[in-house]
Amino acid sequence: MKTVFKLASSAIALTVAAGMAYADDAFWKEAAAPYEGVTLRGVTESSPPSLYIREVLAPQFEELTGIRVDIETTSWDQMFDKAIKDMEAGTGIYDMVYIEQDIIYSYLARDFLTDTTQLLADNPALKAPTYDEANFTTFANYFKGDNGHLYGIPMEAFIKIYLYRTDLFGDADIQAAFKEATGRDLAPATTHEEYTEIAKFFYEYGQANNMQLWGATVQGHTGHPASWYEYYETVAPTFGIYNWGIDASNNYAATVANGGEMNSDTAKEALQWWLDLRQYAPPESNQSTWTEVGTTFGAGRAAQGLVYGENAGWIASDPEKSLVVGKVGVALPPLSDGVLAEVEGGNGYIGYYDGGAFGMPSTSKNKEAAALFLQYIGQNEVQPDWAVAAPRVTNTATYDDPKVQEMNTELGGYYDMLRDKGYLFAGAPAYPFHAQLREAIAPTFYSILTGDISVSDGLDQMAETTEATLTELGYRK
Amino acid sequence: MQSNRLGWILLAPTLVILFFFGVLPFIYVVYVSFHQWNPFAADPTMIFNGADNFRKIVFDAEFLNSVSVTVIFVLFAVISELVVGYVLAQAFMKEFPGKAIFRTIHTLPLIMAPIIVGSVWKLMMTPSIGIIPHYLNAWFGISINIGTSPVAAFATIIIMDIWHWTPLVTLTLIAALVSLPPDPFEQAQIDGANKRQIFFHITVPMIAPAVVATVFIRLMDALRTVDEVWMLTGGGPGSATRFVGVHIFKEVFPKTNYGYGSTISVIVLYLTIVACWLLYVTMLAPRNKKD
Repeated sequence: MKTVFKLASSAIALTVAAGMAYADDAFWKEAAAPYEGVTLRGVTESSPPSLYIREVLAPQFEELTGIRVDIETTSWDQMFDKAIKDMEAGTGIYDMVYIEQDIIYSYLARDFLTDTTQLLADNPALKAPTYDEANFTTFANYFKGDNGHLYGIPMEAFIKIYLYRTDLFGDADIQAAFKEATGRDLAPATTHEEYTEIAKFFYEYGQANNMQLWGATVQGHTGHPASWYEYYETVAPTFGIYNWGIDASNNYAATVANGGEMNSDTAKEALQWWLDLRQYAPPESNQSTWTEVGTTFGAGRAAQGLVYGENAGWIASDPEKSLVVGKVGVALPPLSDGVLAEVEGGNGYIGYYDGGAFGMPSTSKNKEAAALFLQYIGQNEVQPDWAVAAPRVTNTATYDDPKVQEMNTELGGYYDMLRDKGYLFAGAPAYPFHAQLREAIAPTFYSILTGDISVSDGLDQMAETTEATLTELGYRK
Repeated sequence: MQSNRLGWILLAPTLVILFFFGVLPFIYVVYVSFHQWNPFAADPTMIFNGADNFRKIVFDAEFLNSVSVTVIFVLFAVISELVVGYVLAQAFMKEFPGKAIFRTIHTLPLIMAPIIVGSVWKLMMTPSIGIIPHYLNAWFGISINIGTSPVAAFATIIIMDIWHWTPLVTLTLIAALVSLPPDPFEQAQIDGANKRQIFFHITVPMIAPAVVATVFIRLMDALRTVDEVWMLTGGGPGSATRFVGVHIFKEVFPKTNYGYGSTISVIVLYLTIVACWLLYVTMLAPRNKKD
């Protein structure tokens, strides 16, 4: 957190200085004049990109326009809780809410959000010359409605990547030991078998050398949805199970009997593979969410792992938080045979494209002022410093900025991968019942993790519960 | 008559606030509990479904499990807090070196928000990083992981609750003990009563109202425990610590199952009232009758 504030402070200085050079300051002052003194309220997750908005962009915007912006940063659960309550009750407390990619379909189904494209089209005086929807990467498509209009301004986008320790993988003695143990050269895994082999090797290496080193991270919390997400968003797709194994085009079938894949042999193989990794993972894995996985990797306790991109930045570059600065490489996740070709052909995905946008609730009482702020954070001009402070890229031009290129080197080529291979990853499926279904089947999933129920029986049960829940919710006829 | 009117005038602001923020929401929850309502369902409207939710709850294994783990938790936690709290209260009635410092330290957990308590204990209990698993392993060879062991997770939550809330019991009982008149104790000693007889026949009956009040408070608090558990285990491993408060939270917020979640809330409120009534009947009613 300290580092974030340091970054933020530095960025404030940089951006304030840079802000002087912005040619379009006059537009902001003029467009904001009718709303001077207005206070905008936003709620978002307490993550580095959001903290940057609160600490840097909001004060900068306020100084420029006289519109005050209060950004409330809170936990993931509380963020949704507060936003949904506000929009459901129509209280209009918030003018901006964080929309995680996977919740957008639920919000759109309830008409919770303002069509920003239409709002700007209807109010040309509010349209900033430096803002253009065409500047966004294709990730913005996740925040578009059926009419092709944008309902949220992308503010963060990451891919969940395969992170590995370059110092360990490049160590001559370790390479020799690995060759002797496995008969092959040590390199980032491309298959699940290789990934497990590497995990086992480093686990045994750590034990033999009395090191606090394990073979792989596992986001395996036994009571938090993080584990559920790791399996459905990260692991299952690498085995060719997409969209949670539900066939939306086939009456939301989940069971194999009805044409779904949630309890298919492949799904069971995928889950078993992931569960088996726990024997080579650090002891804290059973209590790890996405945050702890990042912390575990940053503490140098794992040789490899599947890590959210939002954590890759500080792991690779922040010496105050990470013990593995400069020792991190990125690669695509290990895949089953044929999956890459299938995804290259446009069918499926190999991992999770995570991220979110700032959207304006339909109930906002300050839509015009909020539209100005949303455009402000969507401009190309503010992106590079933001990307350096918190590794996220939402605008295509950001990749070419020298500061971002420098950061890319520190991150082991993460931005290159995001740009060049991002199309292989995908956000959550377009389900308006995302959280509802997750919570309905998560208890069984946790029971699988604790061994109270077998993988096979558990997935069978989850598939049946899925169909029952979707029937109850009215989506499955 | 004058004082009666003044009393109502003074009470009026409280009653108005209670009505709008307590009674009205409660009536609304009862109303919603007779409906099927999930705003993210294909049909997001509220549909009256009679007593279906109440019928469903009887066969809901997850709910029944959450009630049973909550009852076990409440029994262990409240009884332990009462015993430890009484012992500490008696200790604080005596003079000993460092008493003031010890009493201050002992009271500190009370000022911590439950969410903070849960966070601190999570840090302390994280395997191979936390101080508790580390020293349990180093000193006694005990390996503990609340992410995999339901017993360890459950026991940790009870210990955490005792650590957090025993000071409240201690302070309440100190107040009760200090206010006891010395005469009955002196007379009992003159009559030759031993310490056990004095405790059971004089001390306990005289502090019973304070004990019952404390138990009421702790019982109601323990039944709605959410924050600490949410932070420490999230209800896991599996559903080992999915207390009824956590269950309601998950049903109402992430699942947005407002209708059924309201039903569970109403039932839990009813069970809480029954538990308190049983406690009252068992501990205080016979005494009042005798008086």
